[in-house]
Amino acid sequence: MKFVGLILKSARRSKRRTALTMISVALAVFLFSALRAVLDGFDAVSAASSSTRLVTIRSTSMIFSMPTSHAEMIKSTPDVQDITWANWFGGIYKDPKNFFGQFAVDPESYLRMYPEIVLTDADRQAFLADRTGCIVGDGLAKKHGFKVGDKLTLQVGIPVYGSRDFDFNIRGIYKANGAAVDNQSMMFHWKYADERSTPKGQIGWVVTKIGNPDRATQVASEIDAKFANSPNETKTQTEQAFSASFASMLGNLNLLLGSVALAVVLTTLFVAGNTMAMSVRERTTEIAVMRTLGFPAATIFVLVVGEGLVVSLIGGAAGAALARIIVNGESLGLTGGFIPAFGVNNGNVVVGIGLSLLIGLLAAVIPATMASQLKIVDALRRVA
Amino acid sequence: MGLIASYNLRSMTVRKGTAAMTAMGIAMVVAVFVMTMAIAQGFNGALVASGSNENAILLRKGATSETVSGVLRTQLPLIQAMPQVARAGDGHPMASPELVVIIALPRASDDQPANVPARGVGPLAFEIRNTLTFVEGRRFTPGTREINVGKQATVRFKGLTMGSDVKFGSAMWKVVGVFTDNDASFESEVWGDVDLMMPAFQRDGYQSVTLKLTDPSAFESLAAAVEADPRLDLKAYPERDYYQGQSETTGTLIRVFATFVTAILSIGAVFGAVNTMYAAVAYRTREIGTLRALGFSRSRIVSAFLVESIALAVIGGVIGCFLALPVHGLSTGAMNMTSFSELAFKFRITPGLLVNGLIFSAVMGAVGGLLPAIRAARIPVARALREI
Repeated sequence: MKFVGLILKSARRSKRRTALTMISVALAVFLFSALRAVLDGFDAVSAASSSTRLVTIRSTSMIFSMPTSHAEMIKSTPDVQDITWANWFGGIYKDPKNFFGQFAVDPESYLRMYPEIVLTDADRQAFLADRTGCIVGDGLAKKHGFKVGDKLTLQVGIPVYGSRDFDFNIRGIYKANGAAVDNQSMMFHWKYADERSTPKGQIGWVVTKIGNPDRATQVASEIDAKFANSPNETKTQTEQAFSASFASMLGNLNLLLGSVALAVVLTTLFVAGNTMAMSVRERTTEIAVMRTLGFPAATIFVLVVGEGLVVSLIGGAAGAALARIIVNGESLGLTGGFIPAFGVNNGNVVVGIGLSLLIGLLAAVIPATMASQLKIVDALRRVA
Repeated sequence: MGLIASYNLRSMTVRKGTAAMTAMGIAMVVAVFVMTMAIAQGFNGALVASGSNENAILLRKGATSETVSGVLRTQLPLIQAMPQVARAGDGHPMASPELVVIIALPRASDDQPANVPARGVGPLAFEIRNTLTFVEGRRFTPGTREINVGKQATVRFKGLTMGSDVKFGSAMWKVVGVFTDNDASFESEVWGDVDLMMPAFQRDGYQSVTLKLTDPSAFESLAAAVEADPRLDLKAYPERDYYQGQSETTGTLIRVFATFVTAILSIGAVFGAVNTMYAAVAYRTREIGTLRALGFSRSRIVSAFLVESIALAVIGGVIGCFLALPVHGLSTGAMNMTSFSELAFKFRITPGLLVNGLIFSAVMGAVGGLLPAIRAARIPVARALREI
């Protein structure tokens, strides 16, 4: 501990250089934490997805629908406690760029199925009572400035719903409690869309609640067996598997973001390592004098490594703190649709700071070895 | 200029370690830049290659992609009768009514279901897309449940190899041919007879019509004719523009991501260059004083140190380009946001992209070297000469 003062003193030797290195490390940790947060966002969705909820879609692909009679048949499967269904509406709000999820749902059973959708009692009643009512997530409401009581008009995006625009009344703004439901979507009465749909009575997917998660696979195959060899064969998965397959469609995110993160760390390592080497080289004479005075080689090694650690730790902490403040779904407004809400959490901050320590350590090891193995005579003889 | 540049360039080799580290920092940034941009280019390229100047595509008015479009059966003869549509040798109009549905097939890499576009095409589709060539087998015979599969699709998804039977819709289909098309998005698709695909997927209409124009210049009159006919609620697009538009959402997303990452990374690398150049200037204070005493002007000192910094960065840039090169041609997949299906494409590193990477590295070198170069020029001669 007694060398802390000396370490700080040598870090201040070239203020500009130390500052630049700190900022480099800060940026790297910032970038790393942000990338980590995106990946965590995807993982959080599958982790928060329930394993007592099953999703049944058409086996061909989820863009195909099935008749409502399927829902009734699924309901009669043993172990099934509750069902609901929904349809993807795919409408356009003013401009196709304003993409957000719009679901035509059976309101009562849907809200029962997803307790994650938090609504006040008054809003819930108002939504259930109004055939053209809809509810929107608080994230979406914030983005477009929706208020309860506003009118919301969607152009039809999928031809089965005819060509006339749909008008909705916003009856409630819901909060999402848990990552299984995102706060950037809109839900409305399935009946309203069905009235104008050709063919009628079509549903996109059925969500089933089962009592015992251990029986999920059996129940799923029992459901699928009911529709085998019918024109509308189904595929049933747990909600978890279903959301994981969505994330995998975006491409191999882990690999892409992982290699970018690696490049970030390597770049910073080169920058920081270079600085440490420079700083040691400048102090060659000084170090030789210290060795002459009796400082052991190990102490010199610790001093240089300590300097590396201090510089990158300060930078890393700044970068992680910055990421914590700037990178969250709300301030960026990036989320919606298939990119789940993400934000840098305390765990990411800790990993980021740990990473900066690693960078500091690795960057300092070679210069520190050089410094501690210095031949005193040569070093003293050398002119800066 | 010549003298001073050669002095600076030779000085670089004196401190190899530092110079190498700085160059490597810049190399990493350039490598990341080139690789991420290669993804964007590959994705874009796959869709642009699908479009031809000689073709036009007709979609329902207001539809942004084939998946949300619809063309009635009764509209097809009206389109085929238009004089702007080229005729095949036997006089048949070269217009292919098409239907694209998304089917789920397990991915070869992880067995997860992926969305694969299955395209029902008319009998003359292969004449209209004349860049498409078969690597294996033959075309499907119209009227049978035979299909052709794009090269990328056979590799990426299970059960699509030559000769295998695939179940989708409500029927079994036999793969009788594998085709390629200059890495175009069609290579990720499965093609079959549209008249059999429609009942298999319970559709009673087409989604789009792709036709060959008698001449690329005939597009304007075709678009006007389609617009004027009240029986057609359709709009004609040049095929190339249509596919270019399809790549926009995902392409932009990738590009924004690439820019964001490289911008942040490059700041770090520039700082590395700044440190190195300041150190270089500090070490050579005496030499700089001598040069000034010999009569070299300030501006020449500035330009000389700038050249040194840029040279260092460009060396890094070249290394970065070489680091990135191995990914060229690797194939990968990403979701096409407009069709919700998986599109396979290859990383595409073009000479233009490499040049951009080098320019980028030179800019980083210039930015990093500017302040240290100015510092070098401002050194008072007398003090510099006195320094040890």
